[in-house]
Amino acid sequence: MLLSSVILVLQETLEAAFLIGVLTALGHLQHRPARWLLVGIGAGLIFASVYAQNIQLVSEWFDYVGQELVNAGLQIMIALLLTLYLWRALDGSPAGEGVSGPSGARHGWLISTAAALTVLLAITREGSEVLIYLWGVIHQSDSYQAVLIGSSIGFGIGLSMGCLLFYALVSLPFPWAMRLAIILLALFTGNMLAQAVLLLIQADWIPSTQPLWDSSGWLPEHALMGRLLYALVGYEATPSAWEVAAYLVGFTGIMCVAWRRRASLRPTLIHVAN
Amino acid sequence: MIRARYRCVSDRSGFVRAIILMWMTMLGSASAYAATPIVEIVIRDHLFFPDTVEVPANTKVKLLIDNQDPTPEEFESYELNREKVIGGNSKSVLFIGPLAPGEYPFFGEFYPKTAQGKVVAK
Repeated sequence: MLLSSVILVLQETLEAAFLIGVLTALGHLQHRPARWLLVGIGAGLIFASVYAQNIQLVSEWFDYVGQELVNAGLQIMIALLLTLYLWRALDGSPAGEGVSGPSGARHGWLISTAAALTVLLAITREGSEVLIYLWGVIHQSDSYQAVLIGSSIGFGIGLSMGCLLFYALVSLPFPWAMRLAIILLALFTGNMLAQAVLLLIQADWIPSTQPLWDSSGWLPEHALMGRLLYALVGYEATPSAWEVAAYLVGFTGIMCVAWRRRASLRPTLIHVAN
Repeated sequence: MIRARYRCVSDRSGFVRAIILMWMTMLGSASAYAATPIVEIVIRDHLFFPDTVEVPANTKVKLLIDNQDPTPEEFESYELNREKVIGGNSKSVLFIGPLAPGEYPFFGEFYPKTAQGKVVAK
């Protein structure tokens, strides 16, 4: 029970911690306030518990595929919000100028709101699953201590990895930190859209097809590396063509935004001096 | 010259029509046919009944999962690429396949020690 709860909670925490780590690093690199982060996390926890409490009701919607449709909707919204966030956060002027300049002031609230909403939705989705699990286990009085310990360990590891990612990103030279953060965000967005498509296939809203490839021979999804890659970049050993297409759309969308706004990736004198 | 251009346009509209037809056929085979086989799996005492589920190969199958435990469970399978929370004392539905012949293990992510099973596509 202990080990399985470590793995379950770690898997759920990792994805959200990864997103929050990258968004916080981007905010830090661009000298934006981090208040939105706390608001997003707090509201996300409230939404997660409301969703978890009503999971059965949601599940029965649309002929028992409500859960898939709601989760797919959350993921598509996360992908759209991330694209909007990046479009505004990279405002085309060299970094640093936009924040104090008129354009930064005008879009500051929009950038913060998009980031906060992204975090809120990500925590709603991941957090609700952990809460459903924990509430279920509390019914089983014999093993709940082991589960609570295991969950705390899993949560702790996930959180530390998010922090590690943040510090790794902000310790890099500015242009490289920005590039890496954007690539990670692009992978995350691709992952969200691919997962959304997978859920729509599971709900039979998108026709199912045979897998495009099978890489389970050399990198199985249940192995440690496979699980880690699943949580971080959405690795699937047997993806369908629809999933791969959705992944590419999400990834290239973010990369195109970054390319069009590449002027913001150049360091200013402040960054060079640092 | 004009004829060539005209032919080009008509080719393109034929192509578009073919795509639409293909899409409709796929949608039709995906949802309109009522012939989707239904397989029921019961969860009791954190075990799957039956724990080996036979399904026809290369066919989409509707899994009806009936969780009779008071605790929630999460049906999960890496091989089937499926993941779904099923509340305590409730039923849920998910679609799998079409699957190539073979074995596809699944498990209950909340109680993986006991809740283990497999889908066999024949």
